Amino acid sequence: MNNQQPSRVNQILDLLVEEVEERMRAHRQPLPPAAPAVSKMPAPPVAPPARLAEPVETFTRPPAAPAEQPPEPEPEPEPLPVPPGPPHAARLMGRLALALLVAVVLINIPFNRYGTTLATALPESAALVIRDGLVVKEEDDERIYVYQDGKFRWISSMDAFEHFDFTWGDVHIVEDGFLDRFEIGKPLHVLLKCQASPHIYRLEGGMKRWIRDIATFEAEGHVWEDVRFVSCSYLRDLPDGETVPPGSGPPPQP
Amino acid sequence: MNNLAIIETILRNRHQFFAEIRDGVELGRKIRAMLISSIAFFALYGAVMGSTHSLWQTLSSAVKLPLLFLATLVVCAPTLYFFNLIFGSNQSLAQNVTLILAAITVTAVLLLSFAPIVLFFLLTTSGYQFFKLLNVGVFTVAGLVGVTFLSQGMRVVSAGGKEGAGARRNVVRLWILIYAFVGSQMAWTLRPFIGAPSMQFELFRQLGGNFYANIFVSIGEILGFFTVR
Repeated sequence: MNNQQPSRVNQILDLLVEEVEERMRAHRQPLPPAAPAVSKMPAPPVAPPARLAEPVETFTRPPAAPAEQPPEPEPEPEPLPVPPGPPHAARLMGRLALALLVAVVLINIPFNRYGTTLATALPESAALVIRDGLVVKEEDDERIYVYQDGKFRWISSMDAFEHFDFTWGDVHIVEDGFLDRFEIGKPLHVLLKCQASPHIYRLEGGMKRWIRDIATFEAEGHVWEDVRFVSCSYLRDLPDGETVPPGSGPPPQP
Repeated sequence: MNNLAIIETILRNRHQFFAEIRDGVELGRKIRAMLISSIAFFALYGAVMGSTHSLWQTLSSAVKLPLLFLATLVVCAPTLYFFNLIFGSNQSLAQNVTLILAAITVTAVLLLSFAPIVLFFLLTTSGYQFFKLLNVGVFTVAGLVGVTFLSQGMRVVSAGGKEGAGARRNVVRLWILIYAFVGSQMAWTLRPFIGAPSMQFELFRQLGGNFYANIFVSIGEILGFFTVR
């Protein structure tokens, strides 16, 4: 019995190896129906031990040929199929690119009616480049300033704001006290005139201030490009303020 | 997605990749795959940069950043090819272009890997000058690794021709300097990529000044020496 035990184990192992090889071949290329050939195979000469009986009974292949017989020529092993799709690093890179694309889209979606996005939501004052044309407004102050020639100038009215073609998109909200670091220049006014009247008025604080003459006009640093033409009725409806210069008498009506 | 597989080859098996370029194996396919990958990565990084300003700037930078690298390639590739030819190289223009594109692709991959960091700083800081310098730093690192890759590739690809090998190495070094100067000037010409927060969106900004002076000014402002006006 002891002498036979190793040969039985060998036979079982041979059967196992053959079966595995057969299955691998079947995976690589579908075999033609071989059931009849298998059924013709003789039963194993020696019954396996009881505990191994069940697995061995499932084998339909005969035990390996004796060592004296020449081994059957094995088919050339085919290369394993390459898994489809790019390798790991490339796949990871593709996912990273996709995630970045999603992130870029998300941070560019406006989340309020002013068009603020996540990417531009931080307080802007630290990011500002101070240059001519920069429009700022301190958080708790209604006044809007524009930077011109090294100074910040107060834009004295909404008419002036519109006249100089500013939009709310141009206004950068800065923290209180931001302007303390800079020199404040003369306010930026808009000058109003109507076609039917020779008089020019300066709009300031919602009131029209008559500019007495050309000399005063120039002395105040105004230029003709700042004069905005409006209807005379609009000008008449505006309340009168102090004349420029003050004390020049009652202002004429347009 | 299969175009990305070439990146795996470049990063993991560069010697085989260089050997294939030397032997002229599938250069057309390689060039196409690298072009697609690098354009996609540059566009993404450009979009991240431009997000600091506005949606228009995001789109503009996504287009302009790939353009920057490809235009620099077009401008600089003939110089490398003809100088190599003079000093005894037997490489074709396609081999040269493939090598330079490989360097550009490595740069693009590194930029993409830096993109989450840049995005993080975009969302957590608001210093324009800092953000600009951060990007200059990222481009410097990615660019240096890219040209190192090119230098290695040139050594492998031109290993066959011993004649003038030393001179060709010097040509590559010199060419890298030219490439850096052309690239920086091209970037200056195509700016803005980030967009100053106080300015309206512009597709191209007026010429004037230069890249290096601007960097010094930005460093000066970050260190508190002066305010950019």
